[in-house]
Amino acid sequence: MWSLESLAYAVVHIGLVMYAVFGGADFGGGIWTALAWGPRAKEQRSDLFHAIGPVWETNHVWLIFVVVTLFTAFPKGFAALFTVLLVPLVLALVGINFRGAAFAFRNFGRATGGQIPFLVSTFAVASLLTPFALGITLTATASGKILWAGGQVQAAPLFWVEPFTLMGGVIAIAVCAYLTPIFMTLRSEGALQGDFRRQGMLAGAVLGVLTAAEIPVALACAPLFAARLLSWRGAFFVVLAAGMGTAALVLLWKNRFLAAQLAGSGTVALTLTGFAAAMYPDLLIGQLTLAEAAAPRATLSAFLGICLVGVFVLVPSLWFLYRTFRGEPNSQIPP
Amino acid sequence: MDQVLSARALMGISLGFHIIYATIGVGLPLLLMLAEGVSLARGDDGYHDLARSWVRPAGLLFAIGAVSGTILSFELGLLWPRFMALSGPLIGLPFSMEGFAFFVEAIFLALYSYGEKRLSRRVLFLCTIPLSVAAAASAVFVISANAWMNTPAGFSVINGALAELHPFEAFANPAWAHEAVHATLAAYVATGFAVAGVYAAALLRGEASAVATRGLTLSLAVATVALPLMLVSGDWSAKTLAVQQKPKLAAMEALFRSERGAPLFLGGWPDPATRQVRYAVRIPKGLSVLLSGDPDALVEGLDAFPAGTTPDPRLVHPFFDLMVASFFIMMGPALWFWWLFWRRPEAAWGTWTLRALLLASPFGLIALESGWLVTEFGRQPWVARGMMRVTQGVTAQTGIAPVLFTFLVLYLVLTAGLLKLLLPAAKGKGADATPGGPHVES
Repeated sequence: MWSLESLAYAVVHIGLVMYAVFGGADFGGGIWTALAWGPRAKEQRSDLFHAIGPVWETNHVWLIFVVVTLFTAFPKGFAALFTVLLVPLVLALVGINFRGAAFAFRNFGRATGGQIPFLVSTFAVASLLTPFALGITLTATASGKILWAGGQVQAAPLFWVEPFTLMGGVIAIAVCAYLTPIFMTLRSEGALQGDFRRQGMLAGAVLGVLTAAEIPVALACAPLFAARLLSWRGAFFVVLAAGMGTAALVLLWKNRFLAAQLAGSGTVALTLTGFAAAMYPDLLIGQLTLAEAAAPRATLSAFLGICLVGVFVLVPSLWFLYRTFRGEPNSQIPP
Repeated sequence: MDQVLSARALMGISLGFHIIYATIGVGLPLLLMLAEGVSLARGDDGYHDLARSWVRPAGLLFAIGAVSGTILSFELGLLWPRFMALSGPLIGLPFSMEGFAFFVEAIFLALYSYGEKRLSRRVLFLCTIPLSVAAAASAVFVISANAWMNTPAGFSVINGALAELHPFEAFANPAWAHEAVHATLAAYVATGFAVAGVYAAALLRGEASAVATRGLTLSLAVATVALPLMLVSGDWSAKTLAVQQKPKLAAMEALFRSERGAPLFLGGWPDPATRQVRYAVRIPKGLSVLLSGDPDALVEGLDAFPAGTTPDPRLVHPFFDLMVASFFIMMGPALWFWWLFWRRPEAAWGTWTLRALLLASPFGLIALESGWLVTEFGRQPWVARGMMRVTQGVTAQTGIAPVLFTFLVLYLVLTAGLLKLLLPAAKGKGADATPGGPHVES
């Protein structure tokens, strides 16, 4: 369990959880920009827009961190994944580019009048496309349809288009849409806070239903993954995630917003950890283990050393960033 | 379209696009730090206003840099999975270090850009220090990976597989030091001249302002300090290439035949069929003198290496010449400006000086792009020199051509959008259209 490759996998996992929680909330901002309704829809959109500004680039770096960790620590697995999952990964890139560009063009540009609705809709569509494509990519590794034999990777051309992976894409969208309103309850007041609270509870219910529904879909499409998910190790995290998700809903209902934010983030982290627990010790389920995909020991220990140094730089910097831009979403107004 | 050609074209276009934003991402933080530092030291708010006027273009360019950099990190796997499976354990480490540098850059740029109302002037200045350091560090780290492809190190090959890995030897591979110094300085030159050109254009349009004059002097000062260092580091690079990467040097200098007293060709078109350099200015014994100081020193030409292991000089020599010529195109106007600035300050802001600076302003980026092409074309046919050919590193996945098309469209859309937002509005928007325009919040 404490082998070097397991520690490196833990780094990948932490990077994924951070990307899902922080980057996910930014994509959720785009999703709720499209979904905002009611008398305060305009204020909701404005708050979401302001909240994303200072943090989205930092949060986006987690994705690069995950990709780099994969090719450093698990080069064979990285090569296999990026060979067979070319199409969803290209779709994710297209989404990432248009999301980033649309946001930056609106924030820093001189966009006026007719350009803003266009940029906003580009931003919203791209915020749906990216998590969908990345969700497909992640669940595809659990589908059992990527084959590894004699150092070669094989998969049918459109193997990633099936109920199990498409549901994975939809769940990734739901994760993003779930976190944003919960985070925003801490950064708004009055009626607007009530709007975000309701959105958070609604999204929490949707996420719960979708993840529960994925289990029977997995039984049909990805039996090995389903069996491992329902083994004691997987089931432990499934139960924890469900419990945490329920707690987040109750806390929102009781207006305990700080606790709800922690519970909501915990739900997402535990959901991903359940996925990872069912995958362990494989990178491609049933085909390629972490140990087989891993880089030599010298690389793994050097990489973990770099991470250790990096943490001492990263943690205080992140703390300073989130502390400076807490509270009131518009950075031109004090927190 | 051929699989390898599609993959190479896509990687090349992606890098060529990203390099512009990456360069400005290294250069602009230094300018920010200097402007805020001067402002605090002299109590001159003009320099603070200058730095704040860069927030909007910096935000746009950094965002495009971040997303185009993501494309590259994915393309390593999408296009070159076999190369990455081989080299990931070695070149992954500089990329990991670069990842942490990205975090620091993104965090402190956000604090600087958005923090004006929440942080003190002193803290804003302090934020530009980790920003500039991380920006330079990210360049130095990622160049280690590029240098490794030119001079692979830190491993031995046993039975066709890598063994006995020494990741930090790979990191500090032989080509790293000179590449990192040369390219990081190039980023300061390129950014300095590009920014100076923006202000020269504004002054020529008659938009004289304290921001414009301060902006021009500061950016041109940075570029002018870095420019002579480019010559020194370039000389160091060439002399190192003469030891480490002889075929690349031969292609750069269009030297087909090994000879004592090798000539230096300025310009011209190398013709592999006749092994002649047509239309070139030939300086007898020039190359031997430049490389070793001895006019009769032996320099190995392309014929010293087995056929099929050397780069095509037609793709290397012209870009090398363009890079060197760019140096002189920049040096002239810069020296002219500072000479006048010292002797007759009012004349330095004359129309012809500004026009000359405007003309020279894109050549920092032109030199940087050509220098990068020299490095990459000069490494061919290898992806990791002597270890793996480009054709061996490419993906087994078919259908790269549609991906190439997709990203071409994407880059065109991004470029069009950026130009629309950054270039001065055509229909008389007046002062708001200068780079000194206010930071638009929403």
